[in-house]
Amino acid sequence: MKKAGDKVNETPAHLPDHGTEGNMRAIAGGIAHDLNTILTVIYGHCEMALESAANQAVAEHNIQRIIHATNRARVLTEELIDLSRDLVQKAEATRVSQILSDTLNFYKPSLPGTISVDEKITSPDIYVEAVPAQLFRVFMNLTSNALQAMEDRRGTLTVSLDLVEVSADQSVQGTDHAHIRFEDTGKGMDGETARKAVSPFFTSGKGAKGTGLGLAVVNEIVNNMEGTLKISSESGKGTIVDVFIPALPFGPVREKI
Amino acid sequence: MPGVLIVEDDADLREMLRDALEKRRYTVVTASNGREALAKFRPSVIDLVVTDLLMPEEDGLMVIMKVREIKPSVRMIAISGGGKAGPGSYLLMASKLGADHVFSKPFLPSELVMKVREIIG
Repeated sequence: MKKAGDKVNETPAHLPDHGTEGNMRAIAGGIAHDLNTILTVIYGHCEMALESAANQAVAEHNIQRIIHATNRARVLTEELIDLSRDLVQKAEATRVSQILSDTLNFYKPSLPGTISVDEKITSPDIYVEAVPAQLFRVFMNLTSNALQAMEDRRGTLTVSLDLVEVSADQSVQGTDHAHIRFEDTGKGMDGETARKAVSPFFTSGKGAKGTGLGLAVVNEIVNNMEGTLKISSESGKGTIVDVFIPALPFGPVREKI
Repeated sequence: MPGVLIVEDDADLREMLRDALEKRRYTVVTASNGREALAKFRPSVIDLVVTDLLMPEEDGLMVIMKVREIKPSVRMIAISGGGKAGPGSYLLMASKLGADHVFSKPFLPSELVMKVREIIG
């Protein structure tokens, strides 16, 4: 078994240093910010449609943009509803490999031939205390981000699961954690983008792809499980996201001498 | 016609503001973040910058400061969907940094066009 040691327990530079309440406030602020932007688009195209009422083609274009923006707002509110639903569900002993398999099975049928998925599950019997739907959301988000990063190029998503020992410092005995890694060979991010990636305001594909809340929500869920999220990325080479979640004391037994 | 640089990370909003200003025959250049805006800023072409404040890469406050260094006479309008930077709101900070006008989202394209006309003609 690997030892994660002090590497895992450094406060990652990209994570907000406030607690869960602060994170929730930031996510709520992010939703409000994005909705205000979408409302500006809807408001504006309404005005432009009125101005162009005599020109049917222009009016239709504006109305199409209103429908498109409304759909974006709907995705955002659905995300908000999912988040509030997740928050009231109860955590239970959850087998990580099962949720991971469910996630990958969800995506595999729609993968383009240029992208392959490599699964490395060395410890299939790790359990963590989690709301299964939340853990599924974490893995879905991370898989989706990795696949989006490899769009228009060939690539491999490597997903691994193993048991690691995480300690606050090297001198004390660590505790067992499930370590789930999502490693893609996509376009990667520069240091600044990787640092801001968990911010609720941030997305590299606003208006076209993400809502900008995905990683912020993932970070929040992982924090709630007393886990840690680490992102390392290199522009043009790919991204590695490591998730560490405390393992329950059953399932795989670590050999102790 | 005077030139306007629009800096906005939301593609839908960026294109809508471009349409609204081009319809009034302004020369429009767009950028999706602060870094791109600084790369595209041409002092001889751009008379006014309309910038969002919360963006990836360089944010809007940085755009206001750096563009002013390059061309002190450039005029600025800041737009924001909300959010705070330290003790004050981003829009308040933009005003303090010398933005000629600030808009809270949502606003109408006609309001922006009217303000642009008032500032640069």
